[in-house]
Amino acid sequence: MRMLNFAKRNFKELIRDPLSLIFEIALPIFLLFIFQQIKIPGDTYKLENFTPGIIIFGFSFISLFTSTLVAKDRGSSLLIRLGTSPMKSSDYILGYILSLIPIIIIQDVLFFIVACLLGLNVSINILFTILISIIVSILFIALGILIGSLVSEKGSGGVGSIIVQLVCFTSGMYFSKDLIGKVFAKVCELLPFESTLNIIKGILNNNYDIISARNIIVFSVYTIVVLVISIIVFKKKMISDNK
Amino acid sequence: MVAIETKDLTKKFKDKVAVNKIDLNINQGELFALLGTNGAGKTTTIKMLSGLILPTSGSINILSMDMKKDVFKIKEILNVSPQETAIAPNLTVKENLEFMAGVYQIDNKDKKINELIKVFKLDEVLNKRAKTLSGGWQRKVSIAISLINDPKILFLDEPTLGLDVIARKELWKVIEGLKGKITIILTTHYMEEAEKLSDRIGIMANGNIIEVGTAKELVKKTNAKNFEDAFVTIATGGEL
Repeated sequence: MRMLNFAKRNFKELIRDPLSLIFEIALPIFLLFIFQQIKIPGDTYKLENFTPGIIIFGFSFISLFTSTLVAKDRGSSLLIRLGTSPMKSSDYILGYILSLIPIIIIQDVLFFIVACLLGLNVSINILFTILISIIVSILFIALGILIGSLVSEKGSGGVGSIIVQLVCFTSGMYFSKDLIGKVFAKVCELLPFESTLNIIKGILNNNYDIISARNIIVFSVYTIVVLVISIIVFKKKMISDNK
Repeated sequence: MVAIETKDLTKKFKDKVAVNKIDLNINQGELFALLGTNGAGKTTTIKMLSGLILPTSGSINILSMDMKKDVFKIKEILNVSPQETAIAPNLTVKENLEFMAGVYQIDNKDKKINELIKVFKLDEVLNKRAKTLSGGWQRKVSIAISLINDPKILFLDEPTLGLDVIARKELWKVIEGLKGKITIILTTHYMEEAEKLSDRIGIMANGNIIEVGTAKELVKKTNAKNFEDAFVTIATGGEL
């Protein structure tokens, strides 16, 4: 299977980049640990609420490093070589997505180990959350592929960090959207990050009431649209880059 | 038998004609050098012949297969060593070979990889990450990779660019060893390289193939002292 072969290569490229491991795994774990030591009042920073935030925060770095990998591939002659091989567009896209799934699982497992050590209740919901988070991560991977297809390797870091900032400010992981005002709350509702956080939070806490129909619709529409656009743009850019 | 045949092959980028109605016939086992000044259309031609970009018009036949209809079948039997080194930087040399063997779904990949390690003398760098290698080694690995699928047609786009004299001569030896077995299309700016290695030479200027022949034929035709002078006369239309 060509896509698995490509995924294996991508996984090695990502895992051998120390910066990607620091930001995708070490930084979120550090934040999870440090925010539990500060004992900030309110529900937002309780482990059962903050751990889902840390998962989404970790995913934002998945977007960033996926975009860097795709942009780097586009900028090198490797993609010219692969473009003359029998690989199809689906092999590339699925190869990129599949290579990140093990990293997502490693992230989730490590985040939950730390969260449990800090006092999170061990329950079967953790397993369900990991499974659902794999589906949620597809949106972040697709965002990475889209950014990496549109900008250069240098630009991918900058644009990717916008996703990180948007996750921090609009997901509700650090503060409620209602604190800033109605317009900001509306922006949060229209962007997908609050929805992804609510879905993961709802599954982990076995509290499905907090997952609204809007959350599911916003997440689903964004995932499908971003994925389709990323495939189209990647395919087009692969041809235009080689002109 | 003809390995590559093009008819009226044209590539336009908006209003600019990069390749203009070229007709090429390259025989099986032949080493055909494509020469020209910068921007003559060599790389665009190679990109079309290797299925990387689509022609604006005209046709390409590779071993009696039509590029439009059988592009994936054609891609199975050709390979390219691009102008810049094309390897995965964080993978070791061996992993690069294994990766590309996977891309082409090579049945007996260990045997093929060992064969390439032997031919290109890659033992000493086998477990080193590609990004840590010198430019010469990277180029060598890149060319070794292009032989992973035993291609029937091989495109070498300036394969010795930036190599030192010894590395270049080593690579010539490898290319000479492939002559007759594989159809090779070579682009280069080194006249000596084209003269030494190729069976025939095509000279491009402004998107057109303006002359085709052996090095000796081209020298004779232009009454030049050597092949380099012959090339300059042809490429500039005798202005230099």
